[in-house]
Amino acid sequence: MGCAKDIVETVGVPRFLFSDFPLGNAAGKPRDVGSQDFTLALALDVLESAIGPRTTVQSPLRWTASADWKLDFSNVAKMSPEEIARRRAEFDAQKEVAKDRRIQDGVSNAAS
Amino acid sequence: MQPSDDEFGFVPEHDRPIPYLQRIRDYYLTLGYGTPYRWAQYADVPFQALTKSLKDSTVALITTAAPYQPDKGDQGPGARYNSSAKFYKVYSGDTSADHDVRISHVGYDRIHTTAEDMNTWFPLPAMRRLQAKGRFGRIARHFHGAPTNRSHRTTLDVDCPEILMRCRADAVDAAILVAN
Repeated sequence: MGCAKDIVETVGVPRFLFSDFPLGNAAGKPRDVGSQDFTLALALDVLESAIGPRTTVQSPLRWTASADWKLDFSNVAKMSPEEIARRRAEFDAQKEVAKDRRIQDGVSNAAS
Repeated sequence: MQPSDDEFGFVPEHDRPIPYLQRIRDYYLTLGYGTPYRWAQYADVPFQALTKSLKDSTVALITTAAPYQPDKGDQGPGARYNSSAKFYKVYSGDTSADHDVRISHVGYDRIHTTAEDMNTWFPLPAMRRLQAKGRFGRIARHFHGAPTNRSHRTTLDVDCPEILMRCRADAVDAAILVAN
């Protein structure tokens, strides 16, 4: 189950239930048990009925009527130079934190 | 004159799955990181048909979410990317218990979702409901956490074999991986 269609299909998986939702919602919409049960039921259908590898099924559910949310994720065309600089500084800081975490977990040889 | 999209009922051009590979590549290049991330990519993909009915099958849940760690900073809802909440070793949890697993350590969509409802990435309660309705046989005794540490070698040589071994120990017939 996932929301990043091009990434999952590039890796290649046996079966894929694609929800065209913002990343973080592969198992359904927030506070919407009906959507969550429907999404899992669909995943089980795919598990059962796929005829071969790389079977992708797209959930018919929509995130919102408008598709404008798709323009925002990591879209540098919509960011100011200040915003880009801020994000770079934040990413560098997080990389340092991650390095420390790997050392704590005894996997200091892993790539960033 | 060019016919309008409205005339044919077309949706806007951007109403298609987000091209994440290109978006992320452009993002990091613009931020000044020179070597684009190399995503895993395979031509041959394994496939195993179910060997028995889903109603007789044991199904496992595999997640990239991390156990909530109170001492590791803000983990949401709405938390900024928090790499201190990452984990680097496979972990497992008892599926008969409830769990608090978060996604502040991965790059979910922080503009259009707030990670306020764990059920959008960790469908264990949904699995319980559908199993109770007889949709599949059993939930595997354990769910498993897959690290997202960006080391292909560690993923392939350490984490995947470990998860496979743990699934086999629970006599799992099929697994659902929920990626974030």
